[in-house]
Amino acid sequence: MEYDNIELSDDEEEITAQTVLRTLQNAWQNERLAPEILPHQNEMVECMLGQIQHMERNINKLPKTDLRASIHKMELNRIKFIICNYLKTRLDKIEKYCISILNDEKQRLESGTNYLTPSEYKYAQEYLINMESHLKEAALDHVPGNMQSFDLNKLVIYPNLQAHVFLKANETVTGIILEDLGGDQDEEIDLEENSQHILQYKPIADLLKSGKVQLM
Amino acid sequence: MDPYEIEFIGENRIVNIIPNFSHDKIFLICGEFGPFRAGLPMNVPLWLGVMLKQKQKCRIVAPDWMDIEVLENIKEEEKKSRFFTKMPNEHYMVEAKLILGTAAEDKPRASEIKTIIKDIWDIRMSKLRTSMDALMKTGGSYGRLDHLTMMEINSVKPLLPQAMDELHRIKMNARKTMPVQSSLNSAVSQPGSSQSIL
Repeated sequence: MEYDNIELSDDEEEITAQTVLRTLQNAWQNERLAPEILPHQNEMVECMLGQIQHMERNINKLPKTDLRASIHKMELNRIKFIICNYLKTRLDKIEKYCISILNDEKQRLESGTNYLTPSEYKYAQEYLINMESHLKEAALDHVPGNMQSFDLNKLVIYPNLQAHVFLKANETVTGIILEDLGGDQDEEIDLEENSQHILQYKPIADLLKSGKVQLM
Repeated sequence: MDPYEIEFIGENRIVNIIPNFSHDKIFLICGEFGPFRAGLPMNVPLWLGVMLKQKQKCRIVAPDWMDIEVLENIKEEEKKSRFFTKMPNEHYMVEAKLILGTAAEDKPRASEIKTIIKDIWDIRMSKLRTSMDALMKTGGSYGRLDHLTMMEINSVKPLLPQAMDELHRIKMNARKTMPVQSSLNSAVSQPGSSQSIL
């Protein structure tokens, strides 16, 4: 049961299943720990799901008592846990920050830097429509006409980008500006490779998206 | 994250086992392992080692640092140092728990080793609490925490980040309500005063 390297549909670059797994695991960890939704890793997820299917077909050919079968099954279950948890974490964020994510995403779609996969985007839109009609049916339709006006903008929940997060620097990054609220002089810090810090999410959000730092 | 998730991540670390069966190389998604030769040491991910151990198909070779003498030294260093010392392993607690939990009979004096590791953990946690206290008192919004392991960091969540979030919120409100009188505040958070909690 040896695999060939997997070729991504997007580019010519060949990557191994091992790299895909590592990328997914990091994406999962970051998604769990970041306050906002991060750019999707759909190619990686699809790629790994394909790999899992392929493996499962092979496992089924093995006799049930074969030791290899139980080892492979265990590994696949571990990977499925990561993928499920990763996708569920994203859906939780989509539901919670639905309106703000949709607003941001509309702008990002124009510039082609979308964070959501097409199906996540569809889910977000439908979630919003359902929420709106639910609120109308459950309450607004039963109150006097002059009180039925409904302003979605009042329901917007934003992720707290000022939240403090723990991170590890994957490479050295210099000149991160930390806003100093009390005084008027901002502080500048450097993140050395492999150093660990606790700081606000906002100044490092872009570094996280470019893979220079990792949340922990 | 929940502790079991940190454990899950730690389970990907490589450990040395001695299988009692022979088998060809096995090609997993996370890499290839083997061939398995009865009696010959080899490397596998910790989760696989634990699984084989539970099926009584191997002995787990405890890592070099899981040794009373080495650990006593680490404990002394940790006591002496003001800062956190570098642990032999990023997931020392997870490895200790799983290896000594499932394969205690493979390691002589396992319970003494457990006690020392717990001591080291306690020393580090008390240091961490002191540092957190100092950090909050100086109104810091930034701290450096080299050499803390994921499990240790996780144990101060959500307390530390949320306390810092609250402090930030209070400062924001203070700035909004009294923009001129900020001198009171700046006394606690001079530039550069954000304390490193190392």
